[in-house]
Amino acid sequence: MLLQLKNIKKSFGKVEVLKGITFSLDEGMILGLIGENGAGKSTMMNLLGGIFPPTAGEMFLNGETYLPNSPIAAQSKGVAFIHQELNLFPNLSIAENLFINQFPKKRFFGVSRIDKKTINVKAKELLGQVGLTMDPNKKVEELSPAPRQLVEIAKALGANPKIIIFDEPTTSLSHHEAKKLFELIKKLKAQGIAMIYISHNLDDVLKLVDSVAILRDGELVRMDEKKSFDIQTMVKEMVGREMLEFFPGRMKKIGKKVLEVENLTAKGFIKDVTFHIKKQEVVGFYGLVGAGRSEMVRVLYGLDRFDSGSIVWKGELIDKTNPVLSIQRGIAFLTEDRIEEGLLTRMNIQKNAQLAALGHFTKGLLHRINRFEAKEKVKEKVYATKTKYENLTEQLVSTLSGGNQQKIVLAKWLLTDPELLILDEPTKGIDIGAKREIYGLINNLVENGSSVLMISSELEELMGLCDRIIVMSKGKITASFDKSQFERNTILEVALHKQTAIL
Amino acid sequence: MIESTANKLLGKSENTTVYVCVLYYFIMAIFVPGFFTIHNSWNLLFNLLPLLIVAIGQTYVMLGAGIDLSVTSIVAMTSIIGGYCLSDITAFIEPVWLRIVFSLGAMLLTGALIGLINGVSVAKLGMPAFMVTLTTMMLFSGTAIWLTRSQNSYMLPESFVNMPYTSLWFIPLPLLIGLVVVGIAYFLLNNTLYGEWLPSVGMNSKTAAISGVKVQSTTIWSYIICGCCAAVASILYTARLETGSPVMGQHILLDVIGSVVIGGTSLFGGVGKIQWTVIGAVFIIMLDNSLNLMGMSYFLIMIIKGLVILLAAMMNLLKEGKY
Amino acid sequence: MTRFQKAIQLLLNYSTVVLFLVVLVTFGLLSPKFLTLGNITNILIQSSSLTILAIGMTFVLLTAGIDLSVGSIMFVVGVISGKLVVIGLPIWWAIPLVLVIGLLFGLVNAFFIFKLKIVPFIVTLATFYVGRGLGLYISETRAINLPESFLQIGSSKLLGLPMPIVILLLVLIIGHFVLSSTQFGRQVYAVGNDMAKARKAGVPVKKILLTVYLICGLCAAISSLVALAQLGAVSPTFGYQNEFMAIAAAVLGGTSLFGGKGNILPGTLIGALLIQSIQNGLVIINVNPYIYPVITGTVIFLIVMIDSLRHKSVQKALRTKTTI
Repeated sequence: MLLQLKNIKKSFGKVEVLKGITFSLDEGMILGLIGENGAGKSTMMNLLGGIFPPTAGEMFLNGETYLPNSPIAAQSKGVAFIHQELNLFPNLSIAENLFINQFPKKRFFGVSRIDKKTINVKAKELLGQVGLTMDPNKKVEELSPAPRQLVEIAKALGANPKIIIFDEPTTSLSHHEAKKLFELIKKLKAQGIAMIYISHNLDDVLKLVDSVAILRDGELVRMDEKKSFDIQTMVKEMVGREMLEFFPGRMKKIGKKVLEVENLTAKGFIKDVTFHIKKQEVVGFYGLVGAGRSEMVRVLYGLDRFDSGSIVWKGELIDKTNPVLSIQRGIAFLTEDRIEEGLLTRMNIQKNAQLAALGHFTKGLLHRINRFEAKEKVKEKVYATKTKYENLTEQLVSTLSGGNQQKIVLAKWLLTDPELLILDEPTKGIDIGAKREIYGLINNLVENGSSVLMISSELEELMGLCDRIIVMSKGKITASFDKSQFERNTILEVALHKQTAIL
Repeated sequence: MIESTANKLLGKSENTTVYVCVLYYFIMAIFVPGFFTIHNSWNLLFNLLPLLIVAIGQTYVMLGAGIDLSVTSIVAMTSIIGGYCLSDITAFIEPVWLRIVFSLGAMLLTGALIGLINGVSVAKLGMPAFMVTLTTMMLFSGTAIWLTRSQNSYMLPESFVNMPYTSLWFIPLPLLIGLVVVGIAYFLLNNTLYGEWLPSVGMNSKTAAISGVKVQSTTIWSYIICGCCAAVASILYTARLETGSPVMGQHILLDVIGSVVIGGTSLFGGVGKIQWTVIGAVFIIMLDNSLNLMGMSYFLIMIIKGLVILLAAMMNLLKEGKY
Repeated sequence: MTRFQKAIQLLLNYSTVVLFLVVLVTFGLLSPKFLTLGNITNILIQSSSLTILAIGMTFVLLTAGIDLSVGSIMFVVGVISGKLVVIGLPIWWAIPLVLVIGLLFGLVNAFFIFKLKIVPFIVTLATFYVGRGLGLYISETRAINLPESFLQIGSSKLLGLPMPIVILLLVLIIGHFVLSSTQFGRQVYAVGNDMAKARKAGVPVKKILLTVYLICGLCAAISSLVALAQLGAVSPTFGYQNEFMAIAAAVLGGTSLFGGKGNILPGTLIGALLIQSIQNGLVIINVNPYIYPVITGTVIFLIVMIDSLRHKSVQKALRTKTTI
């Protein structure tokens, strides 16, 4: 037995986040750890990774007591942690990132200096282990997300780990890149390294792991071998109830075209993109990371410029577009990066929710704000999104959970009464309960006359919600499927093989 | 544990500084002779007003996550422009009040113009606010000294020089000006669209831009407002010292930033209030005045002020539970 | 990209060097005295104090910090060493003593910054005033004239090189070595890029912050001595606004105010030389001294502007690369 946890408890203030966790991990074993947001996954991993100590309970590594007081202490004991947010310094080279804390040194007139030759050799060796063949002197800022992830893993391997913890490693990877990562994980498993794999993507978990552990409300509700699980049972254990009708249906009455995009081109990003969206239609965009989907909607919304092509909004040719005009036209845009582009984290819920619709609550030359009206309207929408909160005007939005934060961002856009809602990865990193509520909100909006353009990396989600799925690859649209044609493997294949254009 | 005790002791951030202020006032009133007199009270008020007005402008810029180090040079530059316009050169303009209005207009315009340069450089060209205002500070205080060859201009019209001692509806004119500036600044920040936009830009300009906030013009206006505030303060300084001087306001930068920081406005943008800055400025002025009355030298006061600002910054962090 | 665009890009990338050359050529054309060996040596000697100060500042800026107190440190160090030498302490005793004073200031700055977590801007603004006040207090706001022996050090030579240039070279080489070839130096860049990440990666963030402010304080003290050896007196405005010049020199040399980007060699050196050449050239062509700050200010403004424009275009280019 490599790692053993006995009755581990952790409290923050009065809140008990972990209520006595007991489990063990063997050499060369991959454990999938799943649970809704707030179930205690991160807390548990932070305990293992040495970010903070447990309140009670014992941990053993190789039979010895294991109580790391820092990430470095954990690393030196052989526990490496690959965070969802990579811990790399883009301004330094790959090699420097690999050795940031223990540069090989040599003496030079009694002065210890970095040994650049040894570093290069060692770095190449480590990069080789993860299948990277690039120059270690390249700066990390020049790398795209997938190789960055591999550099992070190489860094972990440099410390000869016995256990590697992966926290949502595939969120910024394409399907193909994720597949390569899985191969690497299996290779490491063969070398006897044990791994804990945390993910919301249950398909991946089932494909990859040996055993599954499910956390709910700080308790380990079930841990068993993989073969005793399927998606349905996993979901059921995670939320503690059956999830019937995961994708609720909606009334179908698709109307006239509201948005027509023709030959839209932004050099270096997208090329000759042509599609349309009808009233009360949900159109999904699927493709690899970097296929140009986010770039395309940013151009549509007016955040980035386009070079040629035309955008027709409700029969009118648009020659100029920016966020202010878009909001006036009734277009709303929920971005992928919630913290950096969606929220004002150090402000209260009210200020966050009212921001985009402020124009509705002002009057006169000085744009005086009607606070009472603003508060009533926000309250209404926040109630509609089923956000759990304590106080609209006192509580900072940063104190909400990820799912509730996303609902606030959604409420912000719903307050602008959008006719077209653009959603970029709206359920990224959100637990299943909140996901389902967001799906319900989307359906509600569409039934009330709006249209939705939705980007997602989860194909199931698109297939469950959309009337049409458009696939993009390398900045171009390569295929389009109507609901009747939805078939998982076909869509995946088109997304992966760029040249099989059906359109 | 320590945090909660501290919170109990300190209460809400706005109140703490008020308590400290009031306490300090009473202690000084009891122990320092000459502090609690009518003459000194007027002194306090007249010292407070121009500083407060500059600090209010600075609060706007800081709310937008900027900083304006050029305020001192704006005060100097507008002062010499005012001195120039009010001197014999414009004597042909009759009556005198028209001359004064024209000159004050020129001063405000100068302040706004420098603010515009700062704002455009920061918002449109994407230059760091610190470097922009640092160089405009060097540039305009240099220009002010160059234009005047380091000479002050005296011979300002009687009615302008008498302004500090004139009253309107029994309120001294400078106080009236101060009240109007505070009132406008408060109203703009608390009741208008701009007041919502500015902190949101300061906290997260990306989120703000995507949510339809006109980020660039919001930022530019904050610097223009700051420039205008510095110009108004310069009018008060120039009238009181009866001279347009190129080194006017050279030493107020510490007091300005001190007022804002002691008040509790965040240096990272997005958090701050006009009433906080009022309290901060009152405290700085009381400190300065009382130490002066105690017979301390200029440099000792400088040292103490520096330490007090450090202390205030620590208190702010303590209140936010950062320790 | 067309050839024209490429040329513009190249020009933007090396804007400081280009401007440096433009300044040299312009003054060279305006006055035959400017580009003589004697004057170039002069520029180097005159710039030694500023360059050393800017080297210390570069370390601090690289960690995304700032040190506004260096001018005041220079002043206090100048006043105290003046007093010590005037009361008869041998120079070789006084020098290590005042270097310790520089370190002490650095220590105080670092303590407030990493222990009490107050932003560097506020901490060093406060120590800026405390230092200046302290210096004025000790000197009783009077100028202190140093004995002849001090000036002799300034004009002495080592291996045929004037002393200020020798000291400058030493600081330059050590600074560059530390930054580019030691673990500490590379970790400075890591801390400047993202402090939280650096902590997670096991970089001793506090030790690094402490060290950079110590280095900055020490450089300020050395810079003060180098300036003293040339001026021979400490006036009440000694070191005034030097912090701004040092920041400007580092930023002109390509160091980012947001941390993690920049270098001493060639960056900061060129930045400081550029500023000094302008000042020197203006003196040589006999411009009204009142104009100096206006011209220097304009040049700094222009370069910061060009730097921002370059930054924008680089950002654009990088985005294109990563997406397709």
